[in-house]
Amino acid sequence: MTQPLLIGLAGLGVLVFLIAIRMPIAYAMILVGGVGVTLLNGPAIFMSQLKTLAYGQFSVYDLSVVPMFVLMGALATRAGLSQDLFRAANAWLGWLRGGTAMAAIAACAGFGSVCGSSLATASTMGRVALPELARYRYSGALATGTLAAGGVLGILIPPSVVLVIYAVIVEANIVTMFMAALLPGLIAVVFFILTIAIYVLVRPDAGPRGSAGERAEFIAATKGIVPVLVIFGLVIGGIYAGLYNPTPAAAVGVFLVAVFGIFRGKLDRAGVKGSLLETAGTTGMIYLILLGAEMLKIFMSRAGVPQATAEWMAHSGLAPMTVLLLLLLALVVLGCLMDSLSMILLVIPFFWPVLVEVNGGLYQTADAAGFGMSTEDLKIWFGILALIVVELGLITPPVGMNVFVISSMAKDTPMSETFKGVMPFFAAELVRVALLVAFPMITLWLPKVLGG
Amino acid sequence: AQEFTFKLHHFLGQQAPAQTDMLEPWARQVEQNSGGRVKIEIFPNMTLGGRPPELIQQARDGVVDLVWTLNGYTPGLFPRTEVFELPFVFVNDPKAANLAMREMFESDLKEEYKGVEVMFLHAHAGQAIQTRDKLVRQPSDLKGLKMRIPTRTGAWVIEALGAAPAAMPVPELPQALQKGVVDGAFIPWEIIPALKIQDQTKYQIEGHDQTRFGTSIFQVSMNKARWDALPPEIQKAFRDASDEAWLAKAGDTWRAIDERGIKVAVAAGNEHITLTPEETNAFQAALEPVVYRWIGEVKGQGIDGEALVKKARELIAKHGGSN
Amino acid sequence: MSMQVKEEGGGRFGPLHTLITVWALAGGALIALVVVVNVLSVAGSALWRPFPGDFEITEMGVAVAASMFLPYCQLNHCNVTADIFTAGLPPRWVAALSALASLVALGFSLLLLTRMYAGMLDQKAYSYTTAILQLPHWMAYAVFLVSLFLLAIAAVMTFLGNVRDARA
Ligand code: NA
Ligand code: NA
Repeated sequence: MTQPLLIGLAGLGVLVFLIAIRMPIAYAMILVGGVGVTLLNGPAIFMSQLKTLAYGQFSVYDLSVVPMFVLMGALATRAGLSQDLFRAANAWLGWLRGGTAMAAIAACAGFGSVCGSSLATASTMGRVALPELARYRYSGALATGTLAAGGVLGILIPPSVVLVIYAVIVEANIVTMFMAALLPGLIAVVFFILTIAIYVLVRPDAGPRGSAGERAEFIAATKGIVPVLVIFGLVIGGIYAGLYNPTPAAAVGVFLVAVFGIFRGKLDRAGVKGSLLETAGTTGMIYLILLGAEMLKIFMSRAGVPQATAEWMAHSGLAPMTVLLLLLLALVVLGCLMDSLSMILLVIPFFWPVLVEVNGGLYQTADAAGFGMSTEDLKIWFGILALIVVELGLITPPVGMNVFVISSMAKDTPMSETFKGVMPFFAAELVRVALLVAFPMITLWLPKVLGG
Repeated sequence: AQEFTFKLHHFLGQQAPAQTDMLEPWARQVEQNSGGRVKIEIFPNMTLGGRPPELIQQARDGVVDLVWTLNGYTPGLFPRTEVFELPFVFVNDPKAANLAMREMFESDLKEEYKGVEVMFLHAHAGQAIQTRDKLVRQPSDLKGLKMRIPTRTGAWVIEALGAAPAAMPVPELPQALQKGVVDGAFIPWEIIPALKIQDQTKYQIEGHDQTRFGTSIFQVSMNKARWDALPPEIQKAFRDASDEAWLAKAGDTWRAIDERGIKVAVAAGNEHITLTPEETNAFQAALEPVVYRWIGEVKGQGIDGEALVKKARELIAKHGGSN
Repeated sequence: MSMQVKEEGGGRFGPLHTLITVWALAGGALIALVVVVNVLSVAGSALWRPFPGDFEITEMGVAVAASMFLPYCQLNHCNVTADIFTAGLPPRWVAALSALASLVALGFSLLLLTRMYAGMLDQKAYSYTTAILQLPHWMAYAVFLVSLFLLAIAAVMTFLGNVRDARA
């Protein structure tokens, strides 16, 4: 092993240590990247690169959708879209056994179609649906588990901030990735609803049946989903149809949500201010991690770590599918400890070259490839799989951000109950991953049809 | 053993023709000229960090030793060299443009390359018109179309023809074409295979005798301090690998890469249109204002654009003669 | 993550706190401006012709705005940490580790401040501009410098807060 490679691997060890002692992940990457490059090539290089790196990284056009989707979600929360969605879903599903929980899932999916983040979806829908679930005497485990899991839909259904970041890292087309995510996202919704159905079949007391609403309420409630349908249609539909690129689409979305919120009188001065500050907090956090990841990448490239890993994996003699499953497993394990965005930024730069290598190289065509698909298709397929397993981290113990958020809202349900309640959904997700691994066409079909 | 190792950083992938057909042969030639004392490691795809517009700064600061970059990434930095991007200054011959730039380098261009030592400047085969479904035979056919711009002078070309310039990263072009976000683009054929442009277009249009509508200029440059510290025989190894013969060859290489692109498009059923001399002349008349616009623009920076245009045209004609 | 916003250092630091929040809000307003430019460009493109500068305004505007969010992030602890490994530690220890993180943030902001100042001089000296509107990039750098200065102040504020907690 060469000396730079050793320094690189030692750097990864230090990185893990710093993260473990509560160093913000962005600063841990910045510190290791900066010191690493300095050790390898002296101080001048890193110092010079710092002159332009931050501005260069922050001004990547493809990333500009990130603050916009964050702002759109923040405004949607305050514009009251979440209540409308839940009311409509409850009118449709509430009369079933476990129906109010199913409605919460459907509403999460609806909110996820205008919001790019899981935490925002979980916290927004939690605020709306938890009191209702308590009113219908749902068990604490099922109620909180449902919302923690439902929050994941915020990122599985486009728009999705994490998917944008993945696309930027592997240089995939964001539009194609958004197309690929839709069908797997809808399958997740169906699986989650089935999970609740089975749950209440086994434990009937956990989710009582609601009453069928009156016809007038049914119609009034259903009308409530029109704004979300219009906004999703114009934003994501507009992207699919090619009316515009993701950034202008997101801008149109922000504009529509803001106008709608102001028009119905829900979005006041304080609401706008709150939305902007939420955007500031989330965007600042994401961009700082992006900068840290770029610094880490520079160090790792100079040390030759990604190249060595890819070569080692390619010559390990493992079957391509084994490699893929190992990588996904690693993501699940890491997901127990870290948040999704940091994970994507930290490991995809290492994992992606490995997959390209075992697939037979960057310009591989489908017939000769390890996975039986072109590198372009592999990029899409793996992106969706990675997105799912990374998001699983949000609901797995010990660190599950969605569970934390929901627990902090449901004071009378202990966190252990929430983790218990979320486990059936975790199982459903594993089934879904298996399905998507076995049938890549589920992911690749829509981009093909829509010509992505 | 190698005494001198250089990191060469660029923005395209490792299997892009720019690397396989130009940068690698050049690097191997330098290594050979040095008798094995030089080693040039190529880092594609911005693997050493930053964004493409930062490449020139990286070379200047010594973050990397060598870069291959597109002058157009940093508009305003190389105003003099920009003369070679102009339509009907660059006509149809990358080889002649390369040699003309070399001849003008010491006298007219060098001062805008402070902090780096230029190994060589080169052009690609030139911007052609590629459209989704609009047949273009005269300037007025472009009126109102949305066209993707290549560089800042490219934007002026598009405006002069009455089309609307649209900026976007190159990788987004296929999708934008497919969905009609743009109606076409001014880019060389060379881009076609990598982005599968042929699936989204119907027409590939160029002027008579391969006349194009401007071009883009690239440079391979070394950090100045690094260069100055090299012993003369190593400098000579670089110089010899970048001589006139090499520039002529680089012109041929880019022409060949370009031809591969148009073959792919034609094989896919696209129509390759070559304008008649008369039609080409109509474009020349319509694009003459771009040259004046550029002259006016650089005048503000104290540059005699008119003289540069005249000299560039003469030298391109001279080297074109030796074709 | 961003959801859990903990207020830091009222009282003595009140005005600084307000300043950093206002700076973040100004960044948010800049994002809103970029939104409007994009919406106008979409409308223009549909009705007449696209506005060719939208691309550059978006890149520059979002970059500048993102920098303006950094001090707010530091002050409100938005930067993600993996808390699991230190969950069992006494609060004083956690505060000490957080103080270390604040110091890294302080060192980084000051280093980046000086380096980007040099970067700004480069941008000016070589007159880097955008392609179509020819907006000079050094102006964006200037806003970055203010943001980094405020980030340094925010890091000092969180550091003092951490020290206070560690002593408590
Ligand atoms: Na979403
Ligand atoms: Na987890």
